[in-house]
Amino acid sequence: METSYETIIIGGGVVGSSIAYHLSERKKEGILVLDQKFPLSGTSGSTQAWVWVHNKTPSWYAEFNMYSAELYPYLSKKIGDVEYKRTGGLSPFFNEADREKALLLAEAYKKIGIKIKVLSREEALEKEPSLNPEVAGATYSSIDGNVNPFRLVDMYMRAAKKNGVQYSTYNKVTEIQKLPGKFIVSSRKGTFVCNNLILAGGTWSRELGKLVDISIPVNQLRGQILVTEPLKPFLHYTISGLRQAFNGEVLIGYSMEEEGFNRATTLDVIQETANMAVHYVPQLKKAKVVRAFSGIRAMPEDGFPILGNIPGIENLYVAATHSGVTLSPLIGTLMTELILDGETSIPIDRYSISRFDLAIR
Amino acid sequence: MDKTMIICRCEEISYEEIEEVISNGAKRFDDIKRMTRCGMGPCQSKICNSLVATIIHEKTGIPIHEIPLPRMRMPISPIKLETLATNSTSFSSVKSVLDEVELEDGKVR
Ligand SMILES: Cc1cc2nc3c(=O)[nH]c(=O)nc-3n(C[C@H](O)[C@H](O)[C@H](O)COP(=O)(O)OP(=O)(O)OC[C@H]3O[C@@H](n4cnc5c(N)ncnc54)[C@H](O)[C@@H]3O)c2cc1C
Repeated sequence: METSYETIIIGGGVVGSSIAYHLSERKKEGILVLDQKFPLSGTSGSTQAWVWVHNKTPSWYAEFNMYSAELYPYLSKKIGDVEYKRTGGLSPFFNEADREKALLLAEAYKKIGIKIKVLSREEALEKEPSLNPEVAGATYSSIDGNVNPFRLVDMYMRAAKKNGVQYSTYNKVTEIQKLPGKFIVSSRKGTFVCNNLILAGGTWSRELGKLVDISIPVNQLRGQILVTEPLKPFLHYTISGLRQAFNGEVLIGYSMEEEGFNRATTLDVIQETANMAVHYVPQLKKAKVVRAFSGIRAMPEDGFPILGNIPGIENLYVAATHSGVTLSPLIGTLMTELILDGETSIPIDRYSISRFDLAIR
Repeated sequence: MDKTMIICRCEEISYEEIEEVISNGAKRFDDIKRMTRCGMGPCQSKICNSLVATIIHEKTGIPIHEIPLPRMRMPISPIKLETLATNSTSFSSVKSVLDEVELEDGKVR
């Protein structure tokens, strides 16, 4: 393997692989992706993978997600079938207090051009007859959908490799040295030199930050998911909380726990998740659960993506975010623009790491 | 083994598909699982487990005893959701998406 690259990306998850692919569309040579294990072994391999816009607040953040969702059909055309389906999204609610909130949300979104509807009980049941008849209503948006995260990362990788990107897996980065005009990246399998360095380590971003003496405030937030046996297709929409995949499995879960890097599944959350499933869609009672898995969200301290260059260190970039599946096409596009053109087509200043204290405490 | 031989019966994954992931650097069952879905079906890798270990061993030379087993996932054998459900409708770590919508002074933030 070469030792000298134009750009090195640390992290081959959905974010790093999207950046690698988008960069390689315009610049075919000199890109290396390093991963301490294997792409999909991080959060990108254990996610619900909704491509989700509606209910995100503030509305400027929803807007950012919408731009990304809009790139998906085009992305599938470019890199191949990633089992993306724009199903439309439904968030059911079971009490009237939530209708108030839903109406406020619809109002706020209207101003930025995201259309969501607040459905009555009857309208919700008409759309999704399997919902619990006790539902009070739902918010609905047509832009939401879901994707197969395994295929997505695999296709990003294949397309990137076709464009000349190299991947080196089972290759943990242990040290980073900044010299004038270049970085020296030491890893388990050797030392590499590059001009541009992108940190896309997801939930490990804090550790990566330490290697360059800055603080990247990304925390861990565990989520547990139940997967059913393949059922014949019966859910039409991506329902916030559960969705039916192409192969008929239903993925259920929307839990959040601060448990650090602990990827165990626990009976209490499994039971709560089962309760949610039968509360939302009663006929799931008889469906068999084939497995429970958990993933660790990369959660920036204030919940919003950390994107862009790192002030004070030339040619060093970071991309760490929750909702990385939804945001990956947009993040790949914008990071490519930033690196190659020095500016982005959609402003990302709001997501700059400079909003935090950069010093390591 | 024949290239077209089915290794994972639940997901119909062939020898050839597994070989490809290994040639791209995969070293353990879980890497192959995530890339191909081999072992994700209803039997949860009970059938393909040792076959996959053998292929990894043959292709990489890693001794069989050093190849980690696939991660076993609850509930090991499929059970009905209603067996797990307690029918409580109060949730602590499980949220609804609307819970996440933040209001400020009676307005969406
Ligand atoms: C339960 C759950 C549900 C979710 N649901 C959704 C959803 O519906 N929609 C959505 O958009 N998002 C969802 N997410 C979030 C989404 O999955 C993540 O935002 C996304 O996967 C993050 O991708 P990533 O590439 O940043 O991280 P990862 O996939 O974790 O990739 C980071 C990579 O960096 C590598 N790495 C780290 N440190 C080093 C090092 N020192 N050297 C070399 N390599 C290193 C790791 O090995 C890893 O492969 C969910 C997450 C969870 C846990």
